[in-house]
Amino acid sequence: MIRHLFKLIWNRKKSNFLLISEIFFCFLVLFAVLSLVVYNVRNYSKPLGFDYDNVWLLTARADIDSTELRIAVEEQLTQKIRSYGEVEGTALVSSNSPFAFSQMKVWAKVGDGPRILAENLDVEDTFAEVMQLNVSAGRWFTKQDDAARYNPVVINRVLQQELFGDESAIGKLITRDDSSQVQVIGVVDHYRGSSEYAEESPVIFTRINQQREAVFWGEILIRVKPGTGIAFEERMVKDLSGIAKNWTLELTTVEKMRQNKEKLSMVPMIAMAVVCGFLIFNVALGLFGVLWYNISRRNGEIGLRRALGASANQVYRQFIGEVLVLATFGLVLGVAFAIQFPMLQVFEVESMVYFIALGIAVGLIYLLAIGCAFYPSRQAAAIHPAMALHEE
Amino acid sequence: MITLKNIEKVYQTKTIETVALHNVNLHIPKGEFVSVMGPSGCGKSTLLNIMGLLDEPTNGIVEIDGTPISRYRDKELAHIRNQKIGFVFQSYHLINDLSVLDNVELPLLYRSGTSASESRHMALTALEKVGLSARTKHYPTQLSGGQRQRVAIARALIGQPEIILADEPTGNLDSVMGEEIMNVLLTLNRQDGTTIVMVTHDENMAQKTERLIRFFDGQQVSDAKTTAYDYQQV
Ligand SMILES: Nc1ncnc2c1ncn2[C@@H]1O[C@H](COP(=O)(O)OP(=O)(O)OP(=O)(O)O)[C@@H](O)[C@H]1O
Ligand SMILES: [Mg+2]
Repeated sequence: MIRHLFKLIWNRKKSNFLLISEIFFCFLVLFAVLSLVVYNVRNYSKPLGFDYDNVWLLTARADIDSTELRIAVEEQLTQKIRSYGEVEGTALVSSNSPFAFSQMKVWAKVGDGPRILAENLDVEDTFAEVMQLNVSAGRWFTKQDDAARYNPVVINRVLQQELFGDESAIGKLITRDDSSQVQVIGVVDHYRGSSEYAEESPVIFTRINQQREAVFWGEILIRVKPGTGIAFEERMVKDLSGIAKNWTLELTTVEKMRQNKEKLSMVPMIAMAVVCGFLIFNVALGLFGVLWYNISRRNGEIGLRRALGASANQVYRQFIGEVLVLATFGLVLGVAFAIQFPMLQVFEVESMVYFIALGIAVGLIYLLAIGCAFYPSRQAAAIHPAMALHEE
Repeated sequence: MITLKNIEKVYQTKTIETVALHNVNLHIPKGEFVSVMGPSGCGKSTLLNIMGLLDEPTNGIVEIDGTPISRYRDKELAHIRNQKIGFVFQSYHLINDLSVLDNVELPLLYRSGTSASESRHMALTALEKVGLSARTKHYPTQLSGGQRQRVAIARALIGQPEIILADEPTGNLDSVMGEEIMNVLLTLNRQDGTTIVMVTHDENMAQKTERLIRFFDGQQVSDAKTTAYDYQQV
């Protein structure tokens, strides 16, 4: 029977061309949208490497020019914040803090190896505790690093793999931006600070050492006790405003920053999904219409098949089968096209993402085809054989 | 082979009720070649459809091989059609997108357990019987009317049915081609013993068969052995 259906569709390829190409395009759009969705979902399901619950971010914009004075005020702010019972810890951080709309890229290189672009975060020693990072090799920064010969850094596993492969990175030197040398003292499992939907990329944590180089950072991460709410937030902001008069102080939760980042990823996904849904709806209507029309045109054939010994159920199965074969023709073309993405590595995306998207798209197209064929096929099966033969 | 008892067929539409067959009693023994004649609209096709289990009578009993079929379900009816009955239609009913060979093989598609090579072989044999061995790769639209009807006959006989029901098989053909088709059917009847019921408008054709039943307005009006049937050849 399957051979028969393939032969039938193949011999009717001219009249089926439109349907096949509709399925082909529908598949490609689905594949594109699903690739994006799968990419995002896969990234989302991977560990972030830190915990943002109960972490707030204070951004301080100074109204004075003197860096020394600024740092002094920042120090006072930090002292004050740490004095509250609700606060578990604070950490100075560069402006590219978790989920911030800010980046700071540096080139990292080992010896004469390739240059790797990495995100550089300047962080205080308390950062690991505030963000609850998991250091899996070596150690995190401590006071003893004050006297270190090289600036110590902690890197994430992704960067370790890129620079050192399977070898240990601890104690090794990295050339940063082709100028300074820094020494790796620890490796964290994961750190995906840019977005929950982004792939993990190389990260370098550089130790903030105010003794060696005094810098005004203006960003303070604050871990508060669970359940600390708006009342404390208001009280703290009021107290801090008293210390940093005329400064602009902004207090937000990292959770809010995460939500903003999420919107940035969701908007294009939702837009594409809407467009895709609309397209699929159109294709479904077209498919349904053509199938409906085909069946009314093929009354005689249906009557004949019944006369030759096909049961109503077999007619039903034949029509469903035909649509599946049609879909298969469209899908063979579509898959041949789509498979180029993982083969040629058009974008730097894991091949797995494409294969999953491909699988889901194929499944959805088959479902769509069966969905559209269901009712017309039932009508075909219900055609009275004597009537159908009579009409010709 | 086929027995009809008190067959009544009424077509009910919204506005009118048509009595297509009324009180039809018939027995067609195995191996007989029967022709059915009558004016247009007298119920000949309806009769054939009921015999071929394509339509149900409003009243009455249809027996195939002595078994009443009224209790059968769709699947079983389809099975009997496939195993025992071959159809030939006035308008051939070939599938234009399939080659001659594939058209002839169609009934075997609904018969489980026939391998592709077996089907191929049976189709070639059937085409040989109707004298169309040279046209297997052609498509129906590339054939003459007579050739198409021979393909349809090959299709009807491929499954070696005991009964062939032919509804005006020569209706669309000129007399020469009609003659050809008639000879194919006669040979089938005589050599293989196939029971044939043929509807025709052609008195000459009818006279070549063994028995002629005349219908008028849904009722049998005469039923007689023909004189011209060549019993010598049987
Ligand atoms: N599906 C149907 N619905 C309603 N009436 C029908 C239907 N099929 C046939 N009839 C009516 O039943 C009667 C018998 O029709 P049938 O087709 O059996 O005639 P016929 O003898 O084969 O005629 P012809 O020689 O023209 O083929 C006709 O009056 C026809 O109008
Ligand atoms: Mg008729």
